[in-house]
Amino acid sequence: MADMLDGFLALSEALTGFTGQRLRGTGQAEAYLATATGIVGEGVMRDLLLAAAEARASSGGDTEKHEAELRRLVMSDDRLGPVARNIIRMWYVGSWYQLPKPWREAHGQSPRDHDHVVSPISYTEGLLWPAIGANPAGAKPAGYGMWAMPPRIAPG
Amino acid sequence: MSLTKITDKAGLHRHLEAAIQLEHATIPPYLNALYSIRPGANTEAFHILRAVAVEEMLHLTLAANILNAVGGTPDLTVPGFVPLYPAYLPDGETDFQVDCQAFSRAAIETFLKIERPAEGATPGVDTIHKGRKRAHHNGHKRHGTAVRARHVPGHEEEHFYSIGEFYQAIEEGLERLHAEMGDALFSGDPARQIGPEYYYSAGGGLMAVTDLASAKAAIRLISEQGEGVTDNIFDYEGEIAHYYRFEQLLLGRYYQKGDARGRPTGREVAVDWDAVFPIKANARLSDFPEGSALRQGAEDFNRAYGDFLALLTRAFQGEPAMFVEAVGGMFQLKELYYQIMRQPLGDGTHAAPTYEISHG
Repeated sequence: MADMLDGFLALSEALTGFTGQRLRGTGQAEAYLATATGIVGEGVMRDLLLAAAEARASSGGDTEKHEAELRRLVMSDDRLGPVARNIIRMWYVGSWYQLPKPWREAHGQSPRDHDHVVSPISYTEGLLWPAIGANPAGAKPAGYGMWAMPPRIAPG
Repeated sequence: MSLTKITDKAGLHRHLEAAIQLEHATIPPYLNALYSIRPGANTEAFHILRAVAVEEMLHLTLAANILNAVGGTPDLTVPGFVPLYPAYLPDGETDFQVDCQAFSRAAIETFLKIERPAEGATPGVDTIHKGRKRAHHNGHKRHGTAVRARHVPGHEEEHFYSIGEFYQAIEEGLERLHAEMGDALFSGDPARQIGPEYYYSAGGGLMAVTDLASAKAAIRLISEQGEGVTDNIFDYEGEIAHYYRFEQLLLGRYYQKGDARGRPTGREVAVDWDAVFPIKANARLSDFPEGSALRQGAEDFNRAYGDFLALLTRAFQGEPAMFVEAVGGMFQLKELYYQIMRQPLGDGTHAAPTYEISHG
Protein backbone atom coordinates (compact mmCIF):
# COMPACT_ATOMS: atom_id res chain seq x y z
CA MET A 1 0.00 0.00 0.00
CA ALA A 2 2.98 2.26 0.52
CA ASP A 3 3.31 2.67 -3.25
CA MET A 4 -0.19 4.15 -3.35
CA LEU A 5 0.49 6.85 -0.77
CA ASP A 6 1.93 9.45 -3.15
CA GLY A 7 -0.97 9.02 -5.54
CA PHE A 8 -3.42 9.16 -2.65
CA LEU A 9 -1.87 12.42 -1.44
CA ALA A 10 -1.96 13.91 -4.95
CA LEU A 11 -5.64 12.98 -5.27
CA SER A 12 -6.31 14.32 -1.78
CA GLU A 13 -4.68 17.67 -2.59
CA ALA A 14 -7.08 18.05 -5.50
CA LEU A 15 -10.08 16.89 -3.47
CA THR A 16 -9.45 19.04 -0.39
CA GLY A 17 -7.62 22.12 -1.63
CA PHE A 18 -4.90 21.69 1.02
CA THR A 19 -1.23 21.11 0.19
CA GLY A 20 0.28 17.67 0.51
CA GLN A 21 2.52 19.06 3.24
CA ARG A 22 -0.48 20.22 5.25
CA LEU A 23 -2.24 16.90 4.65
CA ARG A 24 0.75 14.90 5.88
CA GLY A 25 0.95 17.30 8.80
CA THR A 26 -2.29 15.87 10.14
CA GLY A 27 -0.57 12.52 10.56
CA GLN A 28 -3.66 10.83 9.12
CA ALA A 29 -2.71 10.11 5.47
CA GLU A 30 -1.77 6.47 6.01
CA ALA A 31 -4.82 5.82 8.17
CA TYR A 32 -7.22 7.29 5.62
CA LEU A 33 -5.65 5.39 2.74
CA ALA A 34 -5.77 2.15 4.74
CA THR A 35 -9.36 2.74 5.82
CA ALA A 36 -10.63 3.46 2.32
CA THR A 37 -8.64 0.65 0.72
CA GLY A 38 -9.71 -1.82 3.38
CA ILE A 39 -13.37 -1.09 2.63
CA VAL A 40 -13.53 -0.61 -1.14
CA GLY A 41 -10.72 -3.01 -1.99
CA GLU A 42 -7.37 -2.44 -3.61
CA GLY A 43 -8.78 -2.74 -7.13
CA VAL A 44 -11.17 0.18 -6.74
CA MET A 45 -8.51 2.26 -4.97
CA ARG A 46 -5.94 1.67 -7.72
CA ASP A 47 -8.51 2.57 -10.40
CA LEU A 48 -9.36 5.74 -8.47
CA LEU A 49 -5.71 6.79 -8.25
CA LEU A 50 -5.19 5.99 -11.96
CA ALA A 51 -8.19 8.12 -12.95
CA ALA A 52 -6.92 10.95 -10.75
CA ALA A 53 -3.46 10.69 -12.32
CA GLU A 54 -5.03 10.82 -15.77
CA ALA A 55 -6.98 13.95 -14.81
CA ARG A 56 -3.76 15.58 -13.59
CA ALA A 57 -1.78 14.57 -16.65
CA SER A 58 -4.35 15.68 -19.21
CA SER A 59 -4.77 19.12 -17.65
CA GLY A 60 -1.11 20.05 -18.06
CA GLY A 61 -1.04 22.15 -14.88
CA ASP A 62 -4.17 24.15 -15.73
CA THR A 63 -6.15 24.25 -12.48
CA GLU A 64 -9.55 24.78 -14.09
CA LYS A 65 -9.01 22.02 -16.59
CA HIS A 66 -7.77 19.74 -13.84
CA GLU A 67 -10.95 20.32 -11.87
CA ALA A 68 -13.12 19.69 -14.93
CA GLU A 69 -11.26 16.46 -15.72
CA LEU A 70 -11.50 15.35 -12.12
CA ARG A 71 -15.26 15.90 -12.21
CA ARG A 72 -15.54 13.98 -15.47
CA LEU A 73 -13.23 11.06 -14.69
CA VAL A 74 -13.72 10.68 -10.94
CA MET A 75 -16.60 12.54 -9.35
CA SER A 76 -19.23 11.60 -11.92
CA ASP A 77 -18.09 8.01 -12.15
CA ASP A 78 -20.59 5.67 -10.43
CA ARG A 79 -17.87 3.47 -9.01
CA LEU A 80 -15.17 6.04 -8.13
CA GLY A 81 -17.19 9.16 -7.30
CA PRO A 82 -18.74 7.99 -4.01
CA VAL A 83 -15.34 6.76 -2.82
CA ALA A 84 -13.75 10.14 -3.63
CA ARG A 85 -16.55 11.90 -1.74
CA ASN A 86 -15.93 9.67 1.26
CA ILE A 87 -12.22 10.54 1.12
CA ILE A 88 -13.14 14.23 1.26
CA ARG A 89 -15.30 13.55 4.30
CA MET A 90 -12.46 11.71 6.06
CA TRP A 91 -10.05 14.59 5.53
CA TYR A 92 -12.50 17.19 6.73
CA VAL A 93 -14.17 15.51 9.71
CA GLY A 94 -12.02 12.45 10.37
CA SER A 95 -14.80 9.89 9.95
CA TRP A 96 -15.67 7.25 7.39
CA TYR A 97 -19.35 7.26 6.40
CA GLN A 98 -21.10 4.22 4.99
CA LEU A 99 -21.12 4.26 1.19
CA PRO A 100 -24.49 4.87 -0.55
CA LYS A 101 -26.78 1.88 -0.93
CA PRO A 102 -26.56 1.79 -4.78
CA TRP A 103 -22.76 1.63 -4.54
CA ARG A 104 -22.86 -1.22 -2.03
CA GLU A 105 -25.33 -3.16 -4.14
CA ALA A 106 -23.33 -2.67 -7.32
CA HIS A 107 -19.76 -2.98 -6.06
CA GLY A 108 -19.83 -5.15 -2.99
CA GLN A 109 -20.30 -4.76 0.73
CA SER A 110 -17.60 -4.68 3.37
CA PRO A 111 -18.23 -5.49 7.03
CA ARG A 112 -16.11 -2.43 7.85
CA ASP A 113 -18.28 -0.10 5.78
CA HIS A 114 -20.14 1.56 8.61
CA ASP A 115 -19.93 5.06 10.09
CA HIS A 116 -16.85 5.30 12.30
CA VAL A 117 -14.16 7.67 13.49
CA VAL A 118 -10.91 6.69 11.81
CA SER A 119 -8.44 7.35 14.65
CA PRO A 120 -8.35 8.93 18.11
CA ILE A 121 -7.00 12.19 16.66
CA SER A 122 -8.66 12.23 13.23
CA TYR A 123 -11.50 14.47 14.39
CA THR A 124 -9.27 17.13 15.94
CA GLU A 125 -6.93 16.88 12.93
CA GLY A 126 -9.88 17.37 10.57
CA LEU A 127 -9.44 20.03 7.90
CA LEU A 128 -12.75 21.59 8.80
CA TRP A 129 -11.00 23.44 11.63
CA PRO A 130 -8.40 25.31 9.59
CA ALA A 131 -11.03 25.73 6.87
CA ILE A 132 -13.35 27.66 9.19
CA GLY A 133 -10.54 29.37 11.09
CA ALA A 134 -11.27 27.84 14.47
CA ASN A 135 -9.71 25.43 16.92
CA PRO A 136 -11.48 22.11 17.50
CA ALA A 137 -13.86 22.46 20.39
CA GLY A 138 -12.51 20.91 23.56
CA ALA A 139 -9.14 20.09 21.99
CA LYS A 140 -5.92 21.93 21.14
CA PRO A 141 -6.30 24.45 23.97
CA ALA A 142 -4.94 27.86 23.06
CA GLY A 143 -3.69 28.80 26.52
CA TYR A 144 -4.98 30.69 29.52
CA GLY A 145 -6.76 33.93 28.70
CA MET A 146 -6.51 33.42 24.95
CA TRP A 147 -10.30 33.28 24.73
CA ALA A 148 -10.22 37.06 25.06
CA MET A 149 -8.34 37.33 21.76
CA PRO A 150 -9.19 36.47 18.17
CA PRO A 151 -8.47 32.81 17.34
CA ARG A 152 -4.99 32.18 16.03
CA ILE A 153 -5.02 29.26 13.69
CA ALA A 154 -1.93 27.55 12.38
CA PRO A 155 -1.50 28.48 8.71
CA GLY A 156 -3.27 26.06 6.39
CA MET B 1 30.81 35.47 23.28
CA SER B 2 33.25 36.60 25.87
CA LEU B 3 32.32 36.95 29.46
CA THR B 4 34.71 38.32 32.02
CA LYS B 5 34.32 38.74 35.74
CA ILE B 6 31.55 41.16 36.65
CA THR B 7 33.11 44.46 37.76
CA ASP B 8 30.52 46.98 36.60
CA LYS B 9 26.90 47.30 35.59
CA ALA B 10 27.67 46.74 31.92
CA GLY B 11 29.33 43.45 32.81
CA LEU B 12 26.31 42.46 34.86
CA HIS B 13 24.05 43.28 31.91
CA ARG B 14 26.19 41.12 29.61
CA HIS B 15 25.93 38.20 32.00
CA LEU B 16 22.17 38.54 32.29
CA GLU B 17 21.80 38.85 28.51
CA ALA B 18 23.81 35.64 28.28
CA ALA B 19 21.56 34.09 30.92
CA ILE B 20 18.44 34.87 28.89
CA GLN B 21 20.11 33.48 25.80
CA LEU B 22 21.23 30.41 27.74
CA GLU B 23 17.77 29.67 29.10
CA HIS B 24 16.32 30.04 25.64
CA ALA B 25 19.03 27.90 24.02
CA THR B 26 17.79 24.89 25.97
CA ILE B 27 14.22 25.27 24.75
CA PRO B 28 14.51 24.21 21.06
CA PRO B 29 16.34 20.96 21.96
CA TYR B 30 13.82 20.19 24.69
CA LEU B 31 10.82 20.97 22.49
CA ASN B 32 12.18 19.01 19.53
CA ALA B 33 12.59 15.97 21.76
CA LEU B 34 9.22 16.56 23.41
CA TYR B 35 7.18 16.85 20.25
CA SER B 36 9.06 14.07 18.46
CA ILE B 37 7.31 11.70 20.86
CA ARG B 38 4.37 10.28 18.95
CA PRO B 39 1.16 11.77 20.33
CA GLY B 40 -0.27 9.44 22.93
CA ALA B 41 2.92 7.42 23.44
CA ASN B 42 5.49 7.75 26.22
CA THR B 43 3.21 9.82 28.40
CA GLU B 44 5.58 9.73 31.38
CA ALA B 45 8.59 10.86 29.37
CA PHE B 46 6.40 13.44 27.65
CA HIS B 47 5.38 14.95 30.95
CA ILE B 48 8.90 14.97 32.34
CA LEU B 49 10.19 16.78 29.25
CA ARG B 50 7.25 19.14 29.13
CA ALA B 51 7.60 20.15 32.77
CA VAL B 52 11.30 20.90 32.28
CA ALA B 53 10.68 22.92 29.10
CA VAL B 54 8.01 24.98 30.85
CA GLU B 55 10.37 25.66 33.74
CA GLU B 56 13.08 26.80 31.33
CA MET B 57 10.59 29.39 30.11
CA LEU B 58 10.05 30.41 33.71
CA HIS B 59 13.83 30.75 34.12
CA LEU B 60 14.05 32.81 30.96
CA THR B 61 11.42 35.17 32.31
CA LEU B 62 13.14 35.40 35.70
CA ALA B 63 16.44 36.25 34.01
CA ALA B 64 14.64 38.96 32.02
CA ASN B 65 13.14 40.28 35.26
CA ILE B 66 16.59 40.52 36.84
CA LEU B 67 18.01 42.29 33.77
CA ASN B 68 15.10 44.72 33.76
CA ALA B 69 15.55 45.33 37.48
CA VAL B 70 19.15 46.46 37.02
CA GLY B 71 18.27 48.77 34.14
CA GLY B 72 19.04 46.48 31.20
CA THR B 73 16.90 45.78 28.15
CA PRO B 74 16.04 42.19 27.30
CA ASP B 75 15.96 41.64 23.54
CA LEU B 76 15.27 38.20 22.10
CA THR B 77 15.36 39.48 18.54
CA VAL B 78 19.04 40.42 18.24
CA PRO B 79 20.86 38.56 15.45
CA GLY B 80 22.37 35.33 16.73
CA PHE B 81 20.08 35.15 19.75
CA VAL B 82 18.84 31.75 18.60
CA PRO B 83 21.87 29.52 18.08
CA LEU B 84 22.34 27.31 15.06
CA TYR B 85 22.35 23.78 16.34
CA PRO B 86 24.57 21.96 17.16
CA ALA B 87 25.56 24.75 19.50
CA TYR B 88 27.66 25.41 22.56
CA LEU B 89 25.80 26.83 25.53
CA PRO B 90 26.25 30.58 25.95
CA ASP B 91 27.79 30.28 29.41
CA GLY B 92 31.05 28.99 28.02
CA GLU B 93 30.67 25.26 28.63
CA THR B 94 33.04 24.05 25.97
CA ASP B 95 33.22 20.30 26.47
CA PHE B 96 29.95 19.51 24.69
CA GLN B 97 27.60 20.79 22.05
CA VAL B 98 23.83 20.65 22.15
CA ASP B 99 21.98 18.95 19.31
CA CYS B 100 18.39 19.46 18.31
CA GLN B 101 17.31 15.87 17.93
CA ALA B 102 14.57 13.31 18.44
CA PHE B 103 13.72 11.88 21.84
CA SER B 104 16.44 9.27 22.36
CA ARG B 105 19.05 8.12 24.83
CA ALA B 106 21.57 10.40 23.13
CA ALA B 107 19.24 13.37 23.54
CA ILE B 108 18.70 12.67 27.23
CA GLU B 109 22.45 12.28 27.74
CA THR B 110 22.93 15.74 26.28
CA PHE B 111 20.18 17.10 28.52
CA LEU B 112 22.01 15.64 31.52
CA LYS B 113 25.07 17.64 30.50
CA ILE B 114 22.95 20.79 30.16
CA GLU B 115 21.50 20.30 33.62
CA ARG B 116 24.54 18.84 35.31
CA PRO B 117 25.22 19.79 38.92
CA ALA B 118 28.05 22.16 39.72
CA GLU B 119 31.58 20.91 39.62
CA GLY B 120 32.51 19.24 42.85
CA ALA B 121 28.97 18.08 43.46
CA THR B 122 29.50 14.79 41.67
CA PRO B 123 32.57 13.05 43.06
CA GLY B 124 34.26 10.70 40.68
CA VAL B 125 33.06 12.41 37.52
CA ASP B 126 34.66 15.71 38.21
CA THR B 127 38.28 14.95 37.55
CA ILE B 128 37.60 14.24 33.90
CA HIS B 129 35.61 17.40 33.42
CA LYS B 130 38.08 19.49 35.39
CA GLY B 131 40.84 18.29 33.11
CA ARG B 132 38.82 19.23 30.07
CA LYS B 133 37.97 22.57 31.57
CA ARG B 134 41.62 23.38 32.11
CA ALA B 135 42.37 22.46 28.54
CA HIS B 136 39.83 25.01 27.39
CA HIS B 137 41.31 27.68 29.61
CA ASN B 138 44.67 27.13 27.95
CA GLY B 139 43.80 29.07 24.86
CA HIS B 140 41.34 26.62 23.33
CA LYS B 141 39.44 28.43 20.60
CA ARG B 142 35.74 28.58 21.20
CA HIS B 143 33.30 28.11 18.34
CA GLY B 144 30.08 29.25 19.95
CA THR B 145 28.23 32.03 18.16
CA ALA B 146 25.83 32.61 21.00
CA VAL B 147 26.03 35.91 22.80
CA ARG B 148 26.90 39.19 21.10
CA ALA B 149 30.64 39.24 20.93
CA ARG B 150 32.32 41.66 23.26
CA HIS B 151 35.87 41.11 24.32
CA VAL B 152 37.46 43.05 27.12
CA PRO B 153 41.23 42.99 26.66
CA GLY B 154 43.33 42.04 29.61
CA HIS B 155 40.60 40.06 31.31
CA GLU B 156 40.50 36.31 31.38
CA GLU B 157 37.45 34.85 29.72
CA GLU B 158 35.06 33.10 32.02
CA HIS B 159 34.07 29.53 31.33
CA PHE B 160 31.62 27.78 33.55
CA TYR B 161 31.33 24.08 34.08
CA SER B 162 27.63 24.27 34.82
CA ILE B 163 24.68 26.61 34.59
CA GLY B 164 24.55 26.65 38.39
CA GLU B 165 28.07 28.07 38.60
CA PHE B 166 27.23 30.63 35.94
CA TYR B 167 24.36 31.91 38.08
CA GLN B 168 26.59 31.85 41.13
CA ALA B 169 28.91 34.27 39.34
CA ILE B 170 25.93 36.48 38.56
CA GLU B 171 24.84 36.42 42.18
CA GLU B 172 28.33 37.32 43.36
CA GLY B 173 28.42 40.15 40.82
CA LEU B 174 25.08 41.43 42.07
CA GLU B 175 26.31 41.40 45.65
CA ARG B 176 29.58 43.11 44.75
CA LEU B 177 27.87 45.87 42.79
CA HIS B 178 25.19 46.28 45.44
CA ALA B 179 27.89 46.75 48.09
CA GLU B 180 29.38 49.51 45.93
CA MET B 181 26.25 51.21 44.64
CA GLY B 182 23.54 50.33 47.15
CA ASP B 183 19.97 50.18 45.93
CA ALA B 184 20.86 52.44 43.00
CA LEU B 185 21.84 49.17 41.33
CA PHE B 186 18.14 48.38 40.96
CA SER B 187 17.37 51.37 38.77
CA GLY B 188 14.97 49.58 36.43
CA ASP B 189 11.33 50.49 35.97
CA PRO B 190 9.29 48.15 38.21
CA ALA B 191 6.45 48.33 35.64
CA ARG B 192 8.59 46.14 33.37
CA GLN B 193 8.49 43.20 35.76
CA ILE B 194 6.54 40.12 34.72
CA GLY B 195 4.84 39.12 37.96
CA PRO B 196 2.87 36.05 39.00
CA GLU B 197 -0.32 37.59 37.59
CA TYR B 198 0.96 36.81 34.09
CA TYR B 199 2.11 33.27 34.65
CA TYR B 200 0.41 30.00 35.34
CA SER B 201 0.75 26.26 35.25
CA ALA B 202 4.36 25.69 36.20
CA GLY B 203 6.29 24.54 39.20
CA GLY B 204 7.61 27.45 41.19
CA GLY B 205 6.24 30.93 40.92
CA LEU B 206 7.22 33.87 38.84
CA MET B 207 8.41 36.76 40.99
CA ALA B 208 9.00 40.43 40.38
CA VAL B 209 12.62 41.49 40.96
CA THR B 210 13.07 44.89 42.57
CA ASP B 211 15.95 44.53 45.03
CA LEU B 212 18.84 42.31 46.03
CA ALA B 213 16.69 39.93 48.06
CA SER B 214 14.24 39.26 45.21
CA ALA B 215 17.10 38.98 42.69
CA LYS B 216 18.78 36.36 44.86
CA ALA B 217 15.48 34.53 45.33
CA ALA B 218 15.02 34.40 41.55
CA ILE B 219 18.53 33.02 41.04
CA ARG B 220 17.99 30.47 43.77
CA LEU B 221 14.81 29.28 42.10
CA ILE B 222 16.53 28.93 38.72
CA SER B 223 19.52 27.08 40.15
CA GLU B 224 17.61 24.72 42.38
CA GLN B 225 14.97 23.84 39.80
CA GLY B 226 17.54 23.19 37.15
CA GLU B 227 20.71 21.58 38.06
CA GLY B 228 21.26 22.51 41.62
CA VAL B 229 24.49 23.90 43.01
CA THR B 230 24.36 21.33 45.74
CA ASP B 231 24.18 17.59 45.43
CA ASN B 232 20.55 17.34 46.41
CA ILE B 233 18.18 15.38 44.22
CA PHE B 234 15.21 17.22 45.68
CA ASP B 235 15.25 20.96 46.40
CA TYR B 236 14.05 22.71 49.53
CA GLU B 237 10.48 22.64 48.21
CA GLY B 238 10.65 18.91 47.64
CA GLU B 239 10.80 19.32 43.87
CA ILE B 240 13.15 17.08 41.91
CA ALA B 241 15.87 18.90 39.94
CA HIS B 242 15.89 18.65 36.14
CA TYR B 243 19.09 16.65 36.08
CA TYR B 244 17.59 13.86 38.14
CA ARG B 245 14.28 13.98 36.30
CA PHE B 246 16.10 13.23 33.07
CA GLU B 247 18.29 10.61 34.71
CA GLN B 248 15.12 8.72 35.66
CA LEU B 249 14.40 8.18 31.96
CA LEU B 250 17.81 6.60 31.35
CA LEU B 251 17.69 4.53 34.52
CA GLY B 252 14.07 3.51 33.94
CA ARG B 253 13.03 4.23 37.51
CA TYR B 254 11.74 7.18 39.56
CA TYR B 255 13.65 8.73 42.41
CA GLN B 256 12.03 8.92 45.80
CA LYS B 257 13.05 10.77 48.94
CA GLY B 258 16.12 9.32 50.56
CA ASP B 259 17.58 7.82 47.39
CA ALA B 260 21.26 8.10 46.59
CA ARG B 261 22.25 9.69 43.30
CA GLY B 262 22.31 7.24 40.42
CA ARG B 263 20.27 4.70 42.41
CA PRO B 264 16.57 5.54 42.24
CA THR B 265 14.31 3.09 44.06
CA GLY B 266 10.86 4.37 43.09
CA ARG B 267 8.51 2.70 40.64
CA GLU B 268 9.53 1.94 37.08
CA VAL B 269 9.37 4.56 34.32
CA ALA B 270 8.13 2.97 31.12
CA VAL B 271 10.01 4.41 28.15
CA ASP B 272 9.40 3.37 24.55
CA TRP B 273 12.39 4.78 22.69
CA ASP B 274 10.83 3.72 19.38
CA ALA B 275 7.49 5.55 19.66
CA VAL B 276 9.13 8.61 18.19
CA PHE B 277 9.10 10.50 14.89
CA PRO B 278 12.66 9.92 13.64
CA ILE B 279 13.25 13.63 13.07
CA LYS B 280 16.44 14.76 11.39
CA ALA B 281 19.00 16.03 13.89
CA ASN B 282 19.94 19.71 13.56
CA ALA B 283 17.81 20.12 10.43
CA ARG B 284 18.36 23.16 8.22
CA LEU B 285 16.14 24.79 5.64
CA SER B 286 18.59 23.62 3.00
CA ASP B 287 17.56 20.04 3.84
CA PHE B 288 14.19 20.76 2.24
CA PRO B 289 13.96 21.33 -1.53
CA GLU B 290 13.54 24.98 -2.44
CA GLY B 291 10.00 25.78 -3.50
CA SER B 292 8.58 22.64 -1.89
CA ALA B 293 5.58 22.76 0.40
CA LEU B 294 7.78 21.27 3.10
CA ARG B 295 10.27 24.14 2.76
CA GLN B 296 7.37 26.55 2.98
CA GLY B 297 6.14 24.81 6.13
CA ALA B 298 9.58 25.02 7.74
CA GLU B 299 9.85 28.71 6.83
CA ASP B 300 6.37 29.32 8.24
CA PHE B 301 7.50 27.70 11.47
CA ASN B 302 10.60 29.88 11.70
CA ARG B 303 8.50 32.97 11.10
CA ALA B 304 6.03 31.93 13.80
CA TYR B 305 8.89 31.20 16.21
CA GLY B 306 10.44 34.59 15.44
CA ASP B 307 7.06 36.23 16.07
CA PHE B 308 6.91 34.44 19.41
CA LEU B 309 10.33 35.81 20.40
CA ALA B 310 9.32 39.29 19.24
CA LEU B 311 6.17 39.11 21.33
CA LEU B 312 8.19 38.03 24.39
CA THR B 313 10.56 40.92 23.76
CA ARG B 314 7.63 43.37 23.78
CA ALA B 315 6.44 41.80 27.04
CA PHE B 316 9.92 42.28 28.55
CA GLN B 317 10.27 45.83 27.24
CA GLY B 318 7.35 47.42 28.99
CA GLU B 319 4.20 45.63 27.81
CA PRO B 320 3.92 42.82 30.38
CA ALA B 321 0.36 42.06 29.28
CA MET B 322 1.79 40.72 26.01
CA PHE B 323 3.23 37.87 28.03
CA VAL B 324 -0.14 36.12 28.13
CA GLU B 325 -0.37 36.25 24.36
CA ALA B 326 3.22 35.05 23.95
CA VAL B 327 2.55 32.00 26.10
CA GLY B 328 -0.61 31.38 24.07
CA GLY B 329 1.60 31.45 20.99
CA MET B 330 3.42 28.40 22.33
CA PHE B 331 0.23 26.38 21.97
CA GLN B 332 -0.02 27.41 18.35
CA LEU B 333 3.62 26.49 17.79
CA LYS B 334 2.93 23.02 19.16
CA GLU B 335 0.61 22.35 16.21
CA LEU B 336 3.29 23.52 13.79
CA TYR B 337 5.82 21.20 15.43
CA TYR B 338 3.55 18.23 14.83
CA GLN B 339 2.75 19.25 11.27
CA ILE B 340 6.45 19.37 10.41
CA MET B 341 7.56 16.32 12.35
CA ARG B 342 4.98 14.08 10.67
CA GLN B 343 6.63 14.65 7.27
CA PRO B 344 8.93 11.86 6.10
CA LEU B 345 11.93 13.12 4.13
CA GLY B 346 12.31 9.89 2.19
CA ASP B 347 15.67 8.94 3.75
CA GLY B 348 14.21 7.34 6.86
CA THR B 349 14.15 10.60 8.77
CA HIS B 350 11.38 13.12 9.27
CA ALA B 351 11.44 16.88 8.94
CA ALA B 352 12.06 19.11 11.95
CA PRO B 353 12.01 22.82 12.76
CA THR B 354 15.30 24.50 11.84
CA TYR B 355 15.20 27.61 14.09
CA GLU B 356 16.88 29.73 11.44
CA ILE B 357 15.26 32.91 12.64
CA SER B 358 15.61 36.33 11.06
CA HIS B 359 13.80 39.37 12.32
CA GLY B 360 12.80 41.63 9.47
